[in-house]
Amino acid sequence: MDIDRRNFLKQGIFIMGGLITAGIGIPATTYFLAPLWHKEEEDWIEAGTVADFPIGEPFKIDFVQRKHDGWMTVEGRSSAWAVTSDGKQFTVFDPRCTHLGCPYRWDTEKKKFLCPCHNAVFSITGEVLAGPPPRPLDHLPAKVAGGKLLIKPAEKKEEG
Amino acid sequence: MISRLINWLDERIEILNIKKTLFDRLIPKGVGWPYVLGSVSLFLFTLQVVTGILLAMNYSPSPEHAHASVAYIMQKIPMGKVVRGLHHWGASFMVVAVTLHLLRTFFYGAYKYPRELTWITGLFIWLLVLGFGFTGYLLPWDQKAYWATMVGTNIASQAPLLGPAIAKVLRGGEALGAVTLTRFYAFHVLLLPALIVLLLAVHLCLVVRLGISAPPEKEKKP
Ligand code: FES
Repeated sequence: MDIDRRNFLKQGIFIMGGLITAGIGIPATTYFLAPLWHKEEEDWIEAGTVADFPIGEPFKIDFVQRKHDGWMTVEGRSSAWAVTSDGKQFTVFDPRCTHLGCPYRWDTEKKKFLCPCHNAVFSITGEVLAGPPPRPLDHLPAKVAGGKLLIKPAEKKEEG
Repeated sequence: MISRLINWLDERIEILNIKKTLFDRLIPKGVGWPYVLGSVSLFLFTLQVVTGILLAMNYSPSPEHAHASVAYIMQKIPMGKVVRGLHHWGASFMVVAVTLHLLRTFFYGAYKYPRELTWITGLFIWLLVLGFGFTGYLLPWDQKAYWATMVGTNIASQAPLLGPAIAKVLRGGEALGAVTLTRFYAFHVLLLPALIVLLLAVHLCLVVRLGISAPPEKEKKP
């Protein structure tokens, strides 16, 4: 292809312009779309010493949860219900009722979880025994390390 | 496809004529590198606008959060370092480019009839660019920013009669603090941009309307 001086310069300008646009456009787009590939890494939270917990009876654990909100870290108190049959494997329940999110409690006499809001009843394994909840109690990730119970609290998200 | 779109637009708004007026201008013989400074400034301005909008999305102009939000941009946001770097260095280049552009215009005598208005609007744009630099410098809210603004506003207060009042208005109070930061932020992202866009529009229209001046020639001996 024959190319004269004018066309050579024209194309040179287009190529350089394209490079500059890409050089700025790619970082700018990445920056703008950053929320899309932002993954909040939840940390394991220490919820207590395993040896202190009762066996065969659900117990409530309280802990401080640190959350990242942009450049801020906010601390919030949280709790969860946990149960173990052998002191090694722990089942940790999300402390919110699966109906509309009320905090439920363990009734030591009836040996059931009771939700005060709409009288839901859950078994020790979290199954719905009575009331309106659509599904069993939610579980939270839990593991034992170094004699401590570690859990990952669920993100507070809107029902939907 | 594209040519059909261009035709469609041309039939209605004579887009080819607009393009011709804007880009196919006649330029005098002998222009060279010194004449690119205006375009360089315009490019840098666009860069500052784009990166500035992006930074504003994550910046918080309060004494408690300013520094941490800048650190967040630098460490947590992908390409945050690049975007802030471009804005930071772009600001310095902008002052240099606009100043050189001004000096070029002055020493080539390009401010003379009929381009006085281009020159005057250009001078005000230059002042606004310095204003951007001054107000933007405070926003990271680190030691350097704080003391530089302290010095800057103290200089303002040295002016006779009105000095102390000017410094007070700039700072938003007697001391440099939270209100200074929010004021400077408002100047930097609202007031100054509005003014500079207005002046730039006039400045560029004048450049298109009047064209640029020829380089000065040595007087020919008779
Ligand atoms: S919220 Fe628990 S039963 Fe309705």
